[in-house]
Amino acid sequence: MEIFRNMWRRKFRTFLTIFGIVIGIFAFTVMGSMALKLNKMIDGGKKYVTGQITISPKGSSGYGAATGTLPIDTLNKISKIDGVDQVGALVSLPVEEPNLDNPSINMGEPPSIYGADNKSDFKNKNWETMAMKSGQMPDKNSADNEIAIGINIATDKKLGVNDTYKIRGRDFKVVGIVEKTMTGPDSYVFMAINPAREMLIESNPFMKSLYASGKLKLEDVNSMAGVTWKDGADSQKVSATIKDQFGKDVTVMSPVKMGELIDKASATMNAIILGSALLALIVGLFSIVNTMVMSISERTKEIGIKKAIGASPSLIAVEYTLEAGIIGLVGGAIGMGLGVLAADIINNKMASKGAEIFLIQPNFLILVIMFSFVVGIIAGVIPAIRASKLNVVDAVREL
Amino acid sequence: MEDKKIVVKATGLKKTYKMSKHNIVQALCGVDIEVKKGDFSAIIGPSGCGKSTLMHILGLLDRPDEGTLEIDGVDMTKLKEKQAYKMRAKKIGFIFQGFNLIPTLTAMENVLLAGKYGGMKIAARKERAEELLKLLGLEERTNHKPNELSGGQQQRVAIARALMNDPAIILADEPTGELDSKTSLEIMDILKKLNREENMTFLIVTHNMEVANDCKKIIRLKDGRNA
Repeated sequence: MEIFRNMWRRKFRTFLTIFGIVIGIFAFTVMGSMALKLNKMIDGGKKYVTGQITISPKGSSGYGAATGTLPIDTLNKISKIDGVDQVGALVSLPVEEPNLDNPSINMGEPPSIYGADNKSDFKNKNWETMAMKSGQMPDKNSADNEIAIGINIATDKKLGVNDTYKIRGRDFKVVGIVEKTMTGPDSYVFMAINPAREMLIESNPFMKSLYASGKLKLEDVNSMAGVTWKDGADSQKVSATIKDQFGKDVTVMSPVKMGELIDKASATMNAIILGSALLALIVGLFSIVNTMVMSISERTKEIGIKKAIGASPSLIAVEYTLEAGIIGLVGGAIGMGLGVLAADIINNKMASKGAEIFLIQPNFLILVIMFSFVVGIIAGVIPAIRASKLNVVDAVREL
Repeated sequence: MEDKKIVVKATGLKKTYKMSKHNIVQALCGVDIEVKKGDFSAIIGPSGCGKSTLMHILGLLDRPDEGTLEIDGVDMTKLKEKQAYKMRAKKIGFIFQGFNLIPTLTAMENVLLAGKYGGMKIAARKERAEELLKLLGLEERTNHKPNELSGGQQQRVAIARALMNDPAIILADEPTGELDSKTSLEIMDILKKLNREENMTFLIVTHNMEVANDCKKIIRLKDGRNA
């Protein structure tokens, strides 16, 4: 109780100090939630790329590339390599034709078409099935116009099972909606490979003319392929073999290498995000230190009285440390509340575009609150020890 | 009278303060003092005679350079710093000139604080504080903060605080220094009554002769020595 009254004594100063912590914790909450979301997305991506050997046409930029194709012949040859289990061709392209005259900036992943060969037995080793919110994934028995969509697309376009979704001028029938994953698939349209191939051709005048002249076969249009390895086979060795034999034509991304690359990228990103938040927090920490030093020098007399009537130095130290801890806690609670509010508002606005940029996790919030208390305690410790060591006679002389 | 217990016994207390390299102040140069249970004594002397220093040493707020000090039969000269605060809490009650209550705490909380430092259990603390505040006529003022109390009332709260742990001795430093003459008399009456009825031991530092003359025994100091 006394702690709160002491804080209330200098309302404006306490307010300013708390405000410093509020800013720090606000930044920490927002940036932390952003880092969590990024990590979640990266983890999803990592789970996917480490569950298969990914092959893309040489010279392309990997996923979503529309500049080159993987001929079916190459894929068939790859499937014969020792240790290879299944090869699954994939076609990936944006749901909407990119408009270069009016480019839009996307924070999350733009809605993408993910065309897979429903007839093949290929399954990513880490991601065999998708949990469905309703309906089902297109399978071997599905018609070419049947699609499943990610939750963000369903929300944005207000689509349900059995609804029709027009993509690039074609009508598709929604047969399934994928459960929220908080990662890439939330903005995917899962469809059969052939319509995806046709749309990819239509989007590219060069391919279109080749196709029209019969020089490009539909089955040769594959923007990438996943390769799984047989149980007991070494994915690294299989990748190396594919690279040896087809390195001229295709880029091979081995699961291990991709995993490492992703880890490195995410570590750098996390360091930048959390580093900037910590910086804000350090400023807040010093504002508590400053306030505590001030308030202790103001209260020299009181500390003297308390020591004179028998307060132990440790009790005095605990009292002041706790006061600083509570400043941290109050600032932290407010900062966290505002951070969650801001993240929530932005998320709600962005959700329809599939660009939720914050992941608010209760565990993280508990950590933030505990952290803000600890920051206060750390800031309070040195001033509090100074208070506890105050010479009683000097303090009492002021009486 | 002879078999009364000795509460404070100090012999040859010396204390020097080094203010700067060439300014060394000899505050006490061998003071002897003996206070028995139930005494009501005054320490008087001119300004700078070492009254405050003596009070600080007797109150375990400071240490003598030389000499011995026993409080309630315990040798304080060898007392470690860590034990000094415990002795202060349990054996010594302080009453200061400027009342020195904690401004953010109510009268009741100020009194309770001493009980907390003295290691009393919460229930016992509350009961004792209520009893003391009632004894001092403050039962209507228990929830008032110091700035809502008159000087006399504040000093009465300070007295209650000093009595909380039933100390061996109460050291009062100019207890009426900031009070008008009427209130001064009231406070002195309270102290005398506590001495008479509760057999509390008081050592009052003052330069007010009226206060000193109210005491049963006067100890005179001059230039850091017994005069």
